Amino acid sequence: MEPDSHVSPAIRHVELKAVLLLFLVAALVTGFVLYVLYARGAFEQTQKLILIADDSEGIAVGANLTFSGFPVGRVQRIELARNGKAKIEVEVPVKDVHWLRSTSVFTLERGLVGGARLRAFTGNLDDPPLPPDAEREALRGDATEQLPVLLARMRQVLDHIEHITADDSDLNASLANLRTVTARMSGRYGALGTLLGSDENAKKAIDALDRSNALLASLGGVSAKLGRTLDKTDQRVFGAGGVMDQTQKAVVQLNAVLGDARESLKKADAVLAAAQKVGANTASATEDLAALRAEVEASVRKIGSLIDEINRKWPFKRDTEIKLP
Amino acid sequence: MEPIASRLRRAGFAAVAFATALSPSAYDPAARRVAARQIYFSAWQILPGFTLVCAALSWVLIRIVLRISNDYGLSGYALEFTVRVLVLELIPLFAALFVGLRSGSAINTEVVLMHIRGDFDALQRAGRDPLRHELVPRVIGSAVAVTLLAFLNCAVALLLTYYEMYGASPWGLPQFLRITGEVFAPVAMVGLGLKTLLFGVAVAVIPITSALAVPRLQRMAAVAVLRGMVSLVLALVVIEGTFLAITYI
Repeated sequence: MEPDSHVSPAIRHVELKAVLLLFLVAALVTGFVLYVLYARGAFEQTQKLILIADDSEGIAVGANLTFSGFPVGRVQRIELARNGKAKIEVEVPVKDVHWLRSTSVFTLERGLVGGARLRAFTGNLDDPPLPPDAEREALRGDATEQLPVLLARMRQVLDHIEHITADDSDLNASLANLRTVTARMSGRYGALGTLLGSDENAKKAIDALDRSNALLASLGGVSAKLGRTLDKTDQRVFGAGGVMDQTQKAVVQLNAVLGDARESLKKADAVLAAAQKVGANTASATEDLAALRAEVEASVRKIGSLIDEINRKWPFKRDTEIKLP
Repeated sequence: MEPIASRLRRAGFAAVAFATALSPSAYDPAARRVAARQIYFSAWQILPGFTLVCAALSWVLIRIVLRISNDYGLSGYALEFTVRVLVLELIPLFAALFVGLRSGSAINTEVVLMHIRGDFDALQRAGRDPLRHELVPRVIGSAVAVTLLAFLNCAVALLLTYYEMYGASPWGLPQFLRITGEVFAPVAMVGLGLKTLLFGVAVAVIPITSALAVPRLQRMAAVAVLRGMVSLVLALVVIEGTFLAITYI
């Protein structure tokens, strides 16, 4: 039996169609490979950047380095460095390398969903460009790592809030006081009554203020009078022909008087000298007085006896008493 | 029938078929004509229909993935997910299953009938090598068909994905290139190529070996087709599972 008898009737250009399909397969496979090579950046010129991180967990080969959300690099290799840190080699296409500067900061962030993300931040795009094979530290920004700390703090904050909002809390008491205060403030004496504790005290304070005002008004009058008095005093004391002027004159005159007095004293001194002499003479005279007195006394006695004699002889007078001088 | 022996026979036949297919001396005009006919029947005839069906299924799947990922706020992962699932896994498997069910079953029936009728002995007596002139062209046809359908529909799926995600705008191209570039890592690419090739070979080799393994009795034809198809589906699942495990585990 001939095998060809089993096959279907002849088909037109079957070999040509088969060759076309083979070419199509070859073209598809080649195109696919070229597409993948292009998509993976095999035809791009790149520059190497090395990022050092404490932990490379979540970063895989092929992960992106993004700048403002746009991928500017791709992780090429991850290895453990000698110092125990993760060394992440990033290939940055030369056309995108101008976004990275020598002052750029790189972060490794882990979100709640998906893998870790490498991000670049450039503050000033005019800074010097990033040199090839530069080595930079990747700062960590881990949302999940911060979560327990955040929860602990949240719990603390909630406790505080609960404490604050409790019925017997200080805040409630303060609010009650505030209500009293505002009620008083809306009363007759307003804030003054609130400050002084009662309306009576507020009334006293207002009265005191009124009296103080009156006192101040009268003090104003007094001070005006005092001013005028002072003006007059000034005029009288320091003005022309005033006290000071006359005092000056008096002083001059006093000087003259004092000169006269000095002269007078000199004269008095001479008088005293003379008096001294007179005194001496008086002393000697006094010594003579005793004898004189004795003589006077003798004379008086004689007069007495004479009077007695007369009286005896005088008939009109019977009084015999005789008064001595 | 010993399963291990039959598997070894299959592996041995696959290796011989592969080596024969790669040697240019195997392609004399008669063998070339049979190979061309196999390629035509396996690939050319079904190319438009399969591409249309596959594009429709891809479009539905892409829409579902985009919708769900948008709902869950994970639209950044939609493209990667679509490419990984659709292009790397589903389309090659779908192409292999389609070619297997269509051409594989036909090959199985044809070969088992030739085997029962003793056509291969007649060929040998006529001085023609049945392997080179009848069997290897069928393997080549199936492999070409699976590869063509898989890669063509992968390309169509990529275009559809781009259109669904970014519309007709060219500004999504850098992001699309970047993400697909990440998905098509060297391991994934080698895996895709090898898997497609294995699918293509399995689609022809398993039905042929199943057909040749049955006794030459008329009633065994149905048994051979049944065994061949079950074995083929199992083999495709095993290949797919193995590559998934290698890529992701």
